[in-house]
Amino acid sequence: MNQGQPDLNYELYKLKQSFNRNKKAFVPLIVALLLAVGFFTSYYTVEPDEEAVVIRLGRYLDTTQPGLHFKIPFGVDRVIKVKTKIVHQEEFGFRTQSLDTRRTTYSSRNLDEESLMLTGDLNVAEVQWVVQYQISDPFKFLFKTSEPVRNIRDVSESIMRRVVGDIMVTEVLTTGRVGIAGDAKQLMQEVLDKYDMGVLIRSIKLQDVNPPKKVQASFNDVNAAKQEQEKMINQAEQAYNKVIPEARGKAKKLVSEAQGYAQAVVNRAEGDADRFSEIYREYIKAPAITKKRLYLETMEELFSKLEDVVIIDSKVKGLLPVFGKGITNEK
Amino acid sequence: MKNSFKFILFLVVALLLVGSNSFYILTEGQQAIVTQFGKPIGKGTTEAGLHFKLPFMHKVRYVDKRILSWDGSPNQIPTRDKKYIRVDTTARWKIVDALKFIQTVQNERGAKARIDTILDGHTRDVISSHNLVEAVRNSNQILENLERKKELVQEKKQKGEVADAAVLEVEEEVSGEIEKIQLGREQLSELIVEKADEELKALGIDLIDLQLRRISYEKSVEEKVYDRMISERQRVAQKIRSIGKGEKAEIEGRLAKDLNKIESEAYKKAQLIRGKAQAKATAIYAKSLTKAPDFYEFIRSLEAYKKSIKKDSKFILSSESEFMKYFQ
Repeated sequence: MNQGQPDLNYELYKLKQSFNRNKKAFVPLIVALLLAVGFFTSYYTVEPDEEAVVIRLGRYLDTTQPGLHFKIPFGVDRVIKVKTKIVHQEEFGFRTQSLDTRRTTYSSRNLDEESLMLTGDLNVAEVQWVVQYQISDPFKFLFKTSEPVRNIRDVSESIMRRVVGDIMVTEVLTTGRVGIAGDAKQLMQEVLDKYDMGVLIRSIKLQDVNPPKKVQASFNDVNAAKQEQEKMINQAEQAYNKVIPEARGKAKKLVSEAQGYAQAVVNRAEGDADRFSEIYREYIKAPAITKKRLYLETMEELFSKLEDVVIIDSKVKGLLPVFGKGITNEK
Repeated sequence: MKNSFKFILFLVVALLLVGSNSFYILTEGQQAIVTQFGKPIGKGTTEAGLHFKLPFMHKVRYVDKRILSWDGSPNQIPTRDKKYIRVDTTARWKIVDALKFIQTVQNERGAKARIDTILDGHTRDVISSHNLVEAVRNSNQILENLERKKELVQEKKQKGEVADAAVLEVEEEVSGEIEKIQLGREQLSELIVEKADEELKALGIDLIDLQLRRISYEKSVEEKVYDRMISERQRVAQKIRSIGKGEKAEIEGRLAKDLNKIESEAYKKAQLIRGKAQAKATAIYAKSLTKAPDFYEFIRSLEAYKKSIKKDSKFILSSESEFMKYFQ
């Protein structure tokens, strides 16, 4: 062997020794690190309002429910969590500005483009609405379309215009609301189903539905005119109702009075007739004397009542001056 | 020993390099084309998962498999009836032939430019060769509803169930002429899709649908439309008011008529009752008195004296009168 060789060998040996010594400390460290990373990336939790889509080497494996789950670490399994229980909301023609203040504030600035639409009679209406949806299939939601939310917005705008486009402006503004929301929901779901994007429309709600600002006053005027019309008719009806029942009552009174009078006249006639008949019956038995008696009795009664009776002897002439001087002859 | 260690290290690194280059992972929502020195191999992969390839020689190009959105910029297009509108469209499309797609447009950006020209052109063609209503309405539902409503009102009117106000309400809703449509909104979009489909097929693209997202009047037209709406509303308001006045006058007329009728009828009835009673009384008197007219005359005269001569009347009695017969 060489003289210098052992030195070199020795040096090499020493180096190896130290490397081995270092390796002995190094390897467990790396292994421990790998184990730790593997451990911490081998499980995941799904929150109660979520579902998780598991992708293994790029391929869809499973959709997991809320709870603790395991997966293969080091990027073999990829987990994407999707909020499936939450009802998501998209706003059209306005935006909720703040939910922090006591009263929710909205903004509709510069959203005319979104809310103005043509109605079936080629007028314009301003419609604001809300679409509420839920993710019914998280895998489809993630991988069937590139921009699911934008699809929802585009389709909703298109469908709302289609539905409103088939109705008159007056109907859109008044009675059509419920029908519009229902039709839009159904049609929208049909289109989204065609994309098979795993979205379920929960509801479409119309918010403010107005004529464009410029024409609003004239629409209000029509309403005012309707009110006025009703008021006028009511006033006239009121006058009618005030006069006619009273007149009917008065008419009934008039008739009743006539009926009363009729009864009285007939009764009186009958009474008189009966009385006459009675008297006559007795009179006929002794006509001369009865006649006399009746005459005298009447005269007696009559004259006794009078305060001023003058008896003129037919033999006295030129009596006239006596009159007027208040000469009274007491009986 | 040293050499073998180095060799093993080299082998491991080499294997890792080759190994990692001999497969590729295709994620869901993606498809891929494998090329060998630029030349495409096979028809492309659409299945997600782990796939093998020749290391270094094969390259993988990925494209989207999902439904993609296209948003057109709003266009000003005159319709066939010379109405200027802004048409805003969106579309959904899909890469169905990845190879063709890569060859013709390379990537999504390239595709967008081509789709822009194709769809904008066809949209312009279709919109400008149809009347405005065809792009607004989807059916003749309005006309059918109106017809039905009118019939209903007419029917009721014949039965005398509704007043004129209800007839007006139907008329009021209709502002201007409601034109009948032939195709409608959905069919116009389908027409655009149909025309664009072939051109897009050549690019490896399948057009799923095209939505007429927004159709609005041009700003200058908008003002005129608003003015028309205002004048229409004014006309309606005017009509409603005048109907109100008419109804009021009608009710007032009815009031006068009914009042006169009630009063005169009551008078008539009362007079008749009185007359009948008087007639009856006359008959009663006549029947009873004709038995002894002279006696009646006598007795009634006496009664009349009693009643007609008042307490403060002056009375001059002749001594020759019957009453004074015994006075002399």
